[in-house]
Amino acid sequence: MPVITIENLKYKYPGTDTLVLNDVSLTIEKGEFIGIAGANGAGKSTLSQAVMGLVPQFYKGAYGGKVILSIDGEGEINTKTTPITKLCEYVGLIFQNPFNQLSGAKDTVYGEVAFGLQNLGVEREEMKRRVETVLKQLDIWEYRDRNPFDLSGGQMQRVAIASILVMQPSIIILDEPTSQLDPQGTEEVFRVVDQLSKTGITIIMIEQKIEKLASFCDRIVLMDKGRIVDIDVPDNIFSRDDIEELGVRPPVFTRFCKKYDIKNPDGSYPATLERTMALLVGREIDVTEDDIGEIQNGKKAESVVLESTGPEGEIVFNVSRLSFSYTADVDIFKELSLSLDKRPTAIIGQNGAGKTTLVRLLKGLLKPVSGTILFGGEDIAEKTVAMLAGKVGYVFQNPDDQIFKYNVLDEVMFGPLNIGMSEDEAREQSLKALELMGLKGKEKENPYDLELFERKMVAIASVVAMDTDVIILDEPTIAQDYPGRQMIAGMIHELSKQGKLVIAILHDMDFVADNFERVIVMAHGKILLDGGVKSVFSSENNEILAMARIQKPYSFLLCEEL
Amino acid sequence: MKSISLFIDKGTWLNRLHPYTKLLYILAAVAVPLIGGNLWLFVAMIVSSLLILASGKIIKNALPLIAFSFTLIIVIFLIQGLFNHSNETAFFSVFGLTFYKEGVMYATGIGLNILNMLLSFGIFVLTTSPQELVDELEKSGFSPKFGYIINSVFQILPQMMSTKDTITDAQRSRGMETEGKLIVRMKAFLPLISPVVMSSLINTRERAIALEVRGFGRKQKKTWLSDREKNKGDRLIGIILVALIVLTIVWRVVLCR
Ligand SMILES: Nc1ncnc2c1ncn2[C@@H]1O[C@H](COP(=O)(O)OP(=O)(O)OP(=O)(O)O)[C@@H](O)[C@H]1O
Ligand SMILES: [Mg+2]
Repeated sequence: MPVITIENLKYKYPGTDTLVLNDVSLTIEKGEFIGIAGANGAGKSTLSQAVMGLVPQFYKGAYGGKVILSIDGEGEINTKTTPITKLCEYVGLIFQNPFNQLSGAKDTVYGEVAFGLQNLGVEREEMKRRVETVLKQLDIWEYRDRNPFDLSGGQMQRVAIASILVMQPSIIILDEPTSQLDPQGTEEVFRVVDQLSKTGITIIMIEQKIEKLASFCDRIVLMDKGRIVDIDVPDNIFSRDDIEELGVRPPVFTRFCKKYDIKNPDGSYPATLERTMALLVGREIDVTEDDIGEIQNGKKAESVVLESTGPEGEIVFNVSRLSFSYTADVDIFKELSLSLDKRPTAIIGQNGAGKTTLVRLLKGLLKPVSGTILFGGEDIAEKTVAMLAGKVGYVFQNPDDQIFKYNVLDEVMFGPLNIGMSEDEAREQSLKALELMGLKGKEKENPYDLELFERKMVAIASVVAMDTDVIILDEPTIAQDYPGRQMIAGMIHELSKQGKLVIAILHDMDFVADNFERVIVMAHGKILLDGGVKSVFSSENNEILAMARIQKPYSFLLCEEL
Repeated sequence: MKSISLFIDKGTWLNRLHPYTKLLYILAAVAVPLIGGNLWLFVAMIVSSLLILASGKIIKNALPLIAFSFTLIIVIFLIQGLFNHSNETAFFSVFGLTFYKEGVMYATGIGLNILNMLLSFGIFVLTTSPQELVDELEKSGFSPKFGYIINSVFQILPQMMSTKDTITDAQRSRGMETEGKLIVRMKAFLPLISPVVMSSLINTRERAIALEVRGFGRKQKKTWLSDREKNKGDRLIGIILVALIVLTIVWRVVLCR
């Protein structure tokens, strides 16, 4: 008996008339590690909520078909009728937005993670042992006494993951659990759940990090517009000819092998580095720089060599001897100095390094304890945030923190109107920005009704519309599928071409390598590396990159192996 | 997010006391003077509260409470001293205003009452972590839902404050002036109200889901991370407080005969 049986599942959210799940059937065996891939809006999150019982119990709506769990010693459980408070013994769901996972009932990380165990009536010593284990596994043990709401985005996401893992359900569903984690952290989360699956726990992982799905999953479910298109092993799924049309970009290894016609015995292309290299043993292939550039970007090398020689042009921001702390006892920055010119710049580094804090200081939202920040030669301490708003735009890490109007167009026009554009001009700019971010036709919608990926786009559009000289993006690729990331890449190029400075905080290294000229690597409030993409990711920096918990772009790994 | 309550952990004996003992103290502090019906009892309880606050090293933190009650008291004093309907006997006059004895006495009564209540309440609020209170309530049989509501009451203001800060950041980031002169800040206040309310409502819905998937609301008995350390003081103080209340009642009954 499979642990999860989904039969002809159909579902519509209340007040809508599209089937978000359209006749989905699927069986999953105990201990399998299943990946779910597909474009935004394919129905992945809804499917996960149906297994948790939230659909239809919480969201109501029209529901047909059934989801049956068969748990050892418990018999068959229908997720439509079994109360969620009962289901949570067997199924754990990690939400896409970690902020929404916090119970708000506890004021420490430790208490928050223990909360579920208290409700399950787990005995005290066992509870303490489990909490300690997961907090250490997820590298947040040192934050156990902190208020969970005062953590950085990535740290909060770790708490959310911990709070479910600790309950040890036999089915764990993870909805983009690593979207805000540093690369090393992502790897660790995959390792941890992989271990769990080896002990008989069933894992369902929704991810946009395709290379990770390829190397960890037993099978991948490919979804499109509410239907399951295919269920197969990763190599077969990613070798499909129509894969890009379905909004999924195959791993760089698949793309490479396709080009050189390196095939598995069964005719599919390998989707991981290991499997690729295994096939290459004893085979000579002639790879040129050009080809590698093409694999990375789909363009010829010379057009994408984003190597810059050093600071050029005018200095936009000049930060000198900046110190900052949230609480008296912990320094986030100590005498940090940095200058930013017009090159598109990516800031990368471990969770909690201080990336968000740094850009909030640049934006004036936080005030330095000491030191100065000059913008265009003037000290920003002398200006209010609103006075700077026409020059420096900032997109928040969590779009829910930024959105406050009841329809998309109003939201996007808010900024332009405030910085003195006329009504017509503001409307024109806003519509242009919405179109650029793929939101055409959504002007009248209430942002709260949109999906996370769309809200992130609304947040970006509302800043782009202000036509500022500087635009700062805090983890813009959260929750975006490949077309979404392409759209953001396009926006970055477009704005840089207009002579604007684009600064982005990112955890997606391939996106960094493809789209930025300058890379700043941060850890523990310090800048460890600063330079062009090639020099930063070169092998002599391996140790430093590890310290910042960075993994190199997959394309670089491939090139190094070759 | 800002700290959740007025609670400060100084590690003193007051922090170690059971929340219920401190609640009992509030009861005694309020009941004894009321039952006893003597103004001096108020004074005695106020002095005792002040001494307790001092021993818990939190007198400084209680100052805002004291200042608040004094403003109230002064207002009451003026109104009652000057205009109380039973005012007959002139007491004293300043700046050509005559204060009457009846009103002044009445105001003194109310004033002492307020000060007394606020101080004893202050002891409780300043030394008890809301989390601890909620845990203890649940342990002694109140439903977790009730506990969660109490918790929310403590959190609602700080949470609204932090939502307000987030939205202010979102607004000034996009050019709305929120800093500077009072009038600017007042103008910036109105556009805040509706998003703060909206966002709180949405949060409530999200939290409800978050709670259910963590098994909140199950019929079964919860477990706890820790027991309170048994504290001898609780028992002793409890007995003294109950005795005090009983004595006052007895004294009053005897006196009235
Ligand atoms: N409001 C706050 N109060 C106290 N400490 C905070 C607060 N916000 C962040 N911190 C702490 O400051 C440090 C830097 O946080 P910051 O948000 O800048 O990290 P980050 O580099 O953006 O991380 P991430 O990749 O997880 O978003 C972290 O250790 C975090 O816990
Ligand atoms: Mg951040």
